[in-house]
Amino acid sequence: MKKIAFTQFSKCLFKFGIFLFPLMLLGGCNEHLVGMLDPKGLIAHQEHKLFFDTLALMLIVVLPVIVMSITFVYHYQISHRIRDYKPNWSHSYFLESLWWGIPCIIIVILATITWKKTHEMDPYNKIPGITGTPLVVQAIALPWKWLFIYPQQGIATVNYLEIPVGQEVEYWITVDNVPMSAFFVPQLGSQIYAMAGMRTRLHLVADTVGVYDGMNTQFNGDGFSDMHFETHVVEPAEMQRWVNDVKKSSHSLTDAAYKELLHPTTADKPKFYSKPVPELFNHVLMTYMNSSGPLHPRNNQLKFQ
Amino acid sequence: MLQKLLFGNLTLDAIPIHVPILVGTGAILGVVVAAILLLITINRKWKYLWDEWITSVDHKKIGIMYLILAMVMMLRGFSDAILMRSQQALAAGHAAGYLPPEHYDQIFSAHGVIMIFFVAMPFMFALLNMVVPLQIGARDVAYPYLNSISFWLTFVGAMLCNLSLFVGEFARTGWLAYPPLSELYYSPDVGVDYYIWCLQIAGVGTLLAGINFIVTIFKMRCPGMTLMKMPIFVWSALCAMILVALAFPVLTVSLALLSFDRLFDMHFFTDYAGGNNMMYINLIWVWGHPEVYILVLPAFGIFSEVVATFSKKKLFGYTTMVWAMAVITFLSFIVWLHHFFTMGAGADVNAFFGIATMIIAIPTGVKIFNWLFTMYKGRILLATPMLWVIAFFTTFAIGGMTGVMMSVPPIDFQVHNSLFLIAHFHNVIIGGVLFGYFAGMIYWFPKVFGFRLDERWGKVSFVFWVSGFYLAFMPLYILGLSGVMRRINHYSDTMYQPYFIAAALGAVLIFIGIGAQAIQLIVSIKNRRALRDVTGDPWDGRTLEWSLSSPAPFYNFAFTPTVQEIDQYSLDKEKKKNLHSHEMHYEPIHMPKNTSIGFIAAMFAGLAGFAIIWHMWIPGIVGFVGMVGVLVARTFMTNIDYYVPAETVKQTELAHLKEIAHAR
Repeated sequence: MKKIAFTQFSKCLFKFGIFLFPLMLLGGCNEHLVGMLDPKGLIAHQEHKLFFDTLALMLIVVLPVIVMSITFVYHYQISHRIRDYKPNWSHSYFLESLWWGIPCIIIVILATITWKKTHEMDPYNKIPGITGTPLVVQAIALPWKWLFIYPQQGIATVNYLEIPVGQEVEYWITVDNVPMSAFFVPQLGSQIYAMAGMRTRLHLVADTVGVYDGMNTQFNGDGFSDMHFETHVVEPAEMQRWVNDVKKSSHSLTDAAYKELLHPTTADKPKFYSKPVPELFNHVLMTYMNSSGPLHPRNNQLKFQ
Repeated sequence: MLQKLLFGNLTLDAIPIHVPILVGTGAILGVVVAAILLLITINRKWKYLWDEWITSVDHKKIGIMYLILAMVMMLRGFSDAILMRSQQALAAGHAAGYLPPEHYDQIFSAHGVIMIFFVAMPFMFALLNMVVPLQIGARDVAYPYLNSISFWLTFVGAMLCNLSLFVGEFARTGWLAYPPLSELYYSPDVGVDYYIWCLQIAGVGTLLAGINFIVTIFKMRCPGMTLMKMPIFVWSALCAMILVALAFPVLTVSLALLSFDRLFDMHFFTDYAGGNNMMYINLIWVWGHPEVYILVLPAFGIFSEVVATFSKKKLFGYTTMVWAMAVITFLSFIVWLHHFFTMGAGADVNAFFGIATMIIAIPTGVKIFNWLFTMYKGRILLATPMLWVIAFFTTFAIGGMTGVMMSVPPIDFQVHNSLFLIAHFHNVIIGGVLFGYFAGMIYWFPKVFGFRLDERWGKVSFVFWVSGFYLAFMPLYILGLSGVMRRINHYSDTMYQPYFIAAALGAVLIFIGIGAQAIQLIVSIKNRRALRDVTGDPWDGRTLEWSLSSPAPFYNFAFTPTVQEIDQYSLDKEKKKNLHSHEMHYEPIHMPKNTSIGFIAAMFAGLAGFAIIWHMWIPGIVGFVGMVGVLVARTFMTNIDYYVPAETVKQTELAHLKEIAHAR
């Protein structure tokens, strides 16, 4: 209870801080902003709260520093002719232990929170408190677009992610024919890198129906800025209808269709595929893990630039 | 065949005559350079330039050259910033802005490289060179000739980086050139090679300078100056230089391995054939994290000196300050992983590095409180150096706070790679490092040049810089939290645009601030007689450098001073000890002779670097052999020192005394 009040207090301060800047006032569209300021998933909610708790803890030291720096400078100006002048006073066990001590205590508190939360919110672990088997989505970063494979459903999409509300989703992430990238839907929670020949993992759960922006956050070449995708969070029943629709699609993700996707393109419209090549994700991983020789595994087919 | 060996991959196509911005820049730059060369020739200053500056081994002159390099490169780095800010302010919704990605990507890469390596680092070495030997009562650094090599290598690195504007192109990879993006497959052109070789050459210069200053501080202190009686700026320099000596070899090796990948098809960091790009990212941050402390520690030293002097009070908690810096120096090596919590390391690893990072906040906080209580019960003179310090407190407190927040891994999972991060590190690097260096530059300017900087224009530039800083970077915090990433060229959501426009206006305010600094310099040079520092002690300083005339004589101290206490000079003044006397017995002073070897070796190094970038093997070998050759040849030279006659010393010192007497 007390902690919530604490968070509320720091949020107020934060917003006040924002409005101190006149142009922010002019902009005046704080409530429209998205990202982590408007969380729509359990992990994002926790991160949001952690953010403002940490901010409040830090302000315990930072606010006095700012206030003291301004008042001391104002008060002790030479022109104010303050009598209280101690040119040789330069040491005080009491004061110095105070400012070694208080930050130490704050950091001990923060470190405890950090240790606990980092383990609780480890993106590789199942989210505590969420029951049911997770839906697995395999995300492959391609030259400036995202491919999502739903292995259990037997469908795949490009630049379009649809997930059921309330069900945990486990993302498997890698890249193909593009440098290191990162998978991120700010309103759902954590981001994680995508690297060649490696599978990184991420567990997220959405709690509100809606459409959210997803993106690559790691600069990976000229098409970086357009590497966004739509994330549709829908009711489970609607998700099932959508899956059935896509399954009927005449476009199937064959090897040839996948090779086509390896060509660098930007700002692709969403695409929907039925029948992805079996084990495509693992195949992509092994392409890099088993490669040898001087040439990039995609070199003979496609040049990156 | 011969053409291939001579010119490698370099053809006339490498010159970007089809890019109007570059042609315009090139034309203007060409005119400016031609005008400067012409002026030098008309005034017959070539010999003066060669004898007094290029071949100089005097630490004060090398410091001035570092300063000029930093200032010129700051203009370049800042123009990149203006280009980025205006691009992002325009490119909302369907608008694409005016910079296509292949150009824009070079700009943000160059901005980061230039601001860190060719602005902040030279600026730091400028201040170290100008001040450290004077503060410890030394006649020069330990290895004056090495000092000259260090500067010229840094200079050549910077020029190589500038050359990429007009011959070929610069890296499009971001300022740390993460592989696999920086590997040959994804970046086949010369941009990354320019990046590698300008940093290799400048990096070696930095490493040599670091060693030079460590030896200088350990071996050249005047009698009585034990480690715990050193001025605090010297302590900060020592900590920073230890970091340089430990961290820069890592940079050199990482870049060397990357260049092996690119030159010889090796697989250290490739994303295939067993390469491991995570290794590069670890290595580059093992250097990169200490690097930011290399920059900020000397700034901490400057704040300590300036706060004490302008509060007319002893620095509060000297011992604590020293220990705080030592702790920061140590901790800065065990936090590098916080730059990539999102790589998928386990929770134990992430939590360890997160907590190690937030522990750094403790000694840093202690330093801030010590500065605050140095002002407490003092008599504060609000001169421009002190204004920068006051702006620093708030700015750095905010930047430090957001830094600690990002050290919590789950928070970093949200703000990593976003504009929140960009706002954070500009908050600490501008608000901490740059504000500190500005304070230091104004503070020590009279000691180096003999006259003070104009206060009025200094205040104007201060106001514009600080307000511009807040306007430029606070919106970025909001944008970062709203999920806007760094390095974006354009964005579809127009609601972000007002924030980007605000940031661009902030950059304009900073631009006015820089303009005011330029005017300040011109006005000060014009009024140099009125601003002349006759006594050599314009601020009522506390440390040894203020006991000398301004500018300090080329041999620094006619007599090696002795020290009993911290702030010895301030004590001497209190006791009215007679510091200047006509009846001294002057002695000849042993000094190093000027040498052109540093300059020549660095030019050969530049040739070698340029040649490797373009695979020009014959010039490459010439450059490398030439560099090693002149360095070896120098070791056989014996006529490298001389004695300043006692009479010259006497005349110089008496002239200074006469000037003081005249002023009274």
